[in-house]
Amino acid sequence: MAPFRPPGGRSPDEGAALARQTAWTEALARGTLPSFVKERLAETMSGARPWVTTASPAGLLAQRSHGIRPLGLVSGNCWFHFGYSWTRGHYEGWHTALDRLRLEAGLMGANAVVDVTLRVRRMPGTENEDHMDYGVTGTAVRLDGLPESTNPALATVSALEFARLLESGIVPVGLAIGAHYDWFVASGYGTANAASFWNQELAPLSSFLTRVRRQALQELRDDGVRLGSGVLAHTQHTELYRVEPDENNPYPRFLARYIALGTAILHDSRTRRPLAVRPVTSVRDPRLLAATDTTREVL
Amino acid sequence: MTSDAAADLPKHARERLEGLRDTSRRGGIFTSDFSVNEFLMVGEAGFEPLGLVVGSCIYHTGIQYAGWGKNQEMAVLSQAMYEARELAMTRMEQEAQSLSADGVVGVRLEVKRMDWDKDILEFLAIGTAIAHSKGHPGFKGPGGKPFTSDLSGQDLWMLLQSGYRPLALVMGSCVYHVAHQGMLQSLGNVGRNVEMPLFTQAMYDARELAMERMQQEAKEAGAEGVVAVQLHEGSHNWQPHVIEFFSVGTAVKPIEDAAVIPERLIPQIVIPVND
Repeated sequence: MAPFRPPGGRSPDEGAALARQTAWTEALARGTLPSFVKERLAETMSGARPWVTTASPAGLLAQRSHGIRPLGLVSGNCWFHFGYSWTRGHYEGWHTALDRLRLEAGLMGANAVVDVTLRVRRMPGTENEDHMDYGVTGTAVRLDGLPESTNPALATVSALEFARLLESGIVPVGLAIGAHYDWFVASGYGTANAASFWNQELAPLSSFLTRVRRQALQELRDDGVRLGSGVLAHTQHTELYRVEPDENNPYPRFLARYIALGTAILHDSRTRRPLAVRPVTSVRDPRLLAATDTTREVL
Repeated sequence: MTSDAAADLPKHARERLEGLRDTSRRGGIFTSDFSVNEFLMVGEAGFEPLGLVVGSCIYHTGIQYAGWGKNQEMAVLSQAMYEARELAMTRMEQEAQSLSADGVVGVRLEVKRMDWDKDILEFLAIGTAIAHSKGHPGFKGPGGKPFTSDLSGQDLWMLLQSGYRPLALVMGSCVYHVAHQGMLQSLGNVGRNVEMPLFTQAMYDARELAMERMQQEAKEAGAEGVVAVQLHEGSHNWQPHVIEFFSVGTAVKPIEDAAVIPERLIPQIVIPVND
């Protein structure tokens, strides 16, 4: 069989692979990127390589009409091990990943990164819960009339919504994040309530989860205050685990994690431009999928 | 009908395709998985559906062992994922060519694991072949073959209005083995909040390779850009620490005489009031 040479890929020979690994190690330790990545980003920015966007064609149209030009897909990630604090680790993991995304966008001279999405990743085939990867991706864009920027604004909203905000006199300035986790020991609760025949609220668990959420939302608010004057379009993620008793823990324990993030905006309601609202019928509709086939993955 | 493409197809496929509409057989019927809106918008865009076209490939992935403590691309698996998708796509394109189609829209690329053998995967490419209603010759993809795109009919219309035309569904794949941590390194992390640089680096490298390959495919297709890009990650029952990064999008090119966006299409603020 001929050696595998995918389009644009480098030959998988040992020496080249090793040099590539070394370049990654050195670059990430210095807070920068390997030369081959910088080269690709520079070529994308100059038009020598095709631009890349996560936007739909409708977004593309808005980008053209509103002077928002897509540059390329940018990303960053940080695989983090939690030792003494999950909350602290979560914060550091997300922020390191976002700083790295900002670095890629800055190298392309982007004014903003839109459609920023966050993804948590665990190692396939392992059950280890004490480490995970925080990955972020987004589309770097240039705004016509603005000079190149080294510190682009990040936004979870799409390019279309970004344009809508600017039209309304609202300026997206960055991402606000609030995350919290806590343990709950079910000493007085046990399993009797859950096994009961009666309808009843599991009140200790309810209040535990509410407390975790409120704390995270307080952090989201604090982050928003630091960045601007409000947080929009926030998305949230909750996990609640039950850990069975063991020799050191006589009662079941529950672990709750909650994260909320959104786009921080600067706005002044006194200068807000009024909207002309008119009813429309959308011609977009969801893609048909083989919903009954659960083993099928759409690539 | 393109004679080469038709000759390579099995008899039952030829019979099915012959019952479908074609630019030289207007009396046939079309099939598609279009929604009503999609059907209408494909017509608005100046195209008409010819038929559902499909290509599939059942593929046995080879074996490759990675160094336990080593970050490395699993070239055998990367090649398998590339080749199998390519085979499925080519077979679908072959059907479209035999219908004299200008393109295929709404392409779905799916992969399915087989329960009885973890090394066997099914790859499926399916979409609706379309042709320009007035026989405009300027919509073919690279090499005069039908263009391919995962965009819906509505998105095709919008893309054309934006001054771009689709060229090809482009993709980049990289299957990667992430190094295991040694015992000493793991012990060193106990009780510490600390980044695991080897793991971080592996994700970076795999993602970069997938992105670079997709961009290269687009460049080779003569594209100006790639729209509606999605980045997927998955593990298809492989050994632990093996992950695939897969990027996919539609490579596009500006339409020569479409520099100005019509006034009626300047996007307006539309806020669904049921959200």
